[in-house]
Amino acid sequence: MTDAAPDSHYTLERPEEAVDPQSIYRDLRDNTPVVQLSGRSTTGTLTISRHEDVMTALRTPELFSSDSSAVQIGNTRPLVPLQVDPPHHSKHRKALDPLFAPKQMVKYEPRVRELIRELIDEVADNGHCNFHNDIAEPLPSTIFVELLGLPVSRVDEFLALKDGIIRPPARSLEERYEMVKATGQKIYAVLEEVVEARMAERQDDFLSTIIDAKVDGQPLSRDDVVDIGYLFFLAGLDTVSASLDCIVAYLAQNPDHRQRVADDPAIIPHAIEELLRYESPVPIVPRITTADTEMSGCPIAEGSRITVLLGSANTDERVWDNPHQVDFDRESNKHLGFGGGVHRCLGSHLARMELRVALEEWHDRVPDYRLADGLELRYSPGIRQVDNLELVW
Amino acid sequence: MRIRVDTELCQGHGRCYMLAPDLFEADDDGYSQPTAERPVPSELADQARRAFMNCPEDAVILTEETS
Repeated sequence: MTDAAPDSHYTLERPEEAVDPQSIYRDLRDNTPVVQLSGRSTTGTLTISRHEDVMTALRTPELFSSDSSAVQIGNTRPLVPLQVDPPHHSKHRKALDPLFAPKQMVKYEPRVRELIRELIDEVADNGHCNFHNDIAEPLPSTIFVELLGLPVSRVDEFLALKDGIIRPPARSLEERYEMVKATGQKIYAVLEEVVEARMAERQDDFLSTIIDAKVDGQPLSRDDVVDIGYLFFLAGLDTVSASLDCIVAYLAQNPDHRQRVADDPAIIPHAIEELLRYESPVPIVPRITTADTEMSGCPIAEGSRITVLLGSANTDERVWDNPHQVDFDRESNKHLGFGGGVHRCLGSHLARMELRVALEEWHDRVPDYRLADGLELRYSPGIRQVDNLELVW
Repeated sequence: MRIRVDTELCQGHGRCYMLAPDLFEADDDGYSQPTAERPVPSELADQARRAFMNCPEDAVILTEETS
């Protein structure tokens, strides 16, 4: 016996919900594991929150498709390989995996360390900073623009374009759609210009490597290279910033955990994994169903848009011991902070390296810090950046 | 105790070679280097258990031998 998905008063789009999403996740899991939220971009979408259901969605791409109709982020062609299903997905993914493998990341670590040191030099003697503006945003975006091969002098323009897709200041769904589409066209224009230049003359950057990559023995089309670039543009300019925000915001409010990180840099990789679990800076991935199915006793029709709540799976009492406790010594941590299944975050090894180096250098120079007095943190819904992360020390 | 990685399930999260570097290594794509099932030396039993307990895809297969 199955019942249609109920509606919920939650939206997961309001800023006040984004401060403590973990308690909303718990309510959803316990009472409405398949639910229609009431937000403007979630209307008509089913949200799934239990670990078991999330794993099923991630591991069954033939039923829970990543086809580009699952989400609107300004692109007019599918983003490769994110919005492509197997078997097509696997070929492109295979060509891109080596770019982001741990062995490659070792090469980029010195440049990341050099840049974070420069950024810290700017603020260390001031006794205060906006960690988001001064550190968390410039570090990954500069590194990524350099790696991809976009002109570093235009990084502020790229950040504005990225925000125009991820956080458009729209008041209605229609306005949002128009804004995102217009911004998408500008991103295509930037990428087409740079790809054109690299096709004429290669440089030592990802775009040049992708241009020379072979899929089934054939070079990628110009559109394929641009579509990969579009995905990298959105993914590379936002997620590591939000992760760094979430991690440092947590540490600034939890002095025992902060002290442990400052005293013992060897714990940092474990702290990163545990805070990626608990905070889940990228809490949602979208899917769309290719056939009628059922989850947690609820029927799901073919063609349903699905919001897969990674953040909720990461705190589900059904599979985690003490999920609401942040424990750097957690023995078992199978978190889905980087998603799972065939679309596991391509940039996860780059993200981990950047987060580790940033936290090592920051705590070496500024070990003792806290939130500015009276500060109420502002987490953005969706990808959880904290743009008012004012720290004092 | 014996261990292997199910290469069908492995998605390259990298938790096994991070937590059990004496048992696993990354291949050139960042996935766990495929190897046949093999015995775990007793001094590496803790690493083996950690890899088993931290793979998000449950791709690390650990078999406790009963002798």
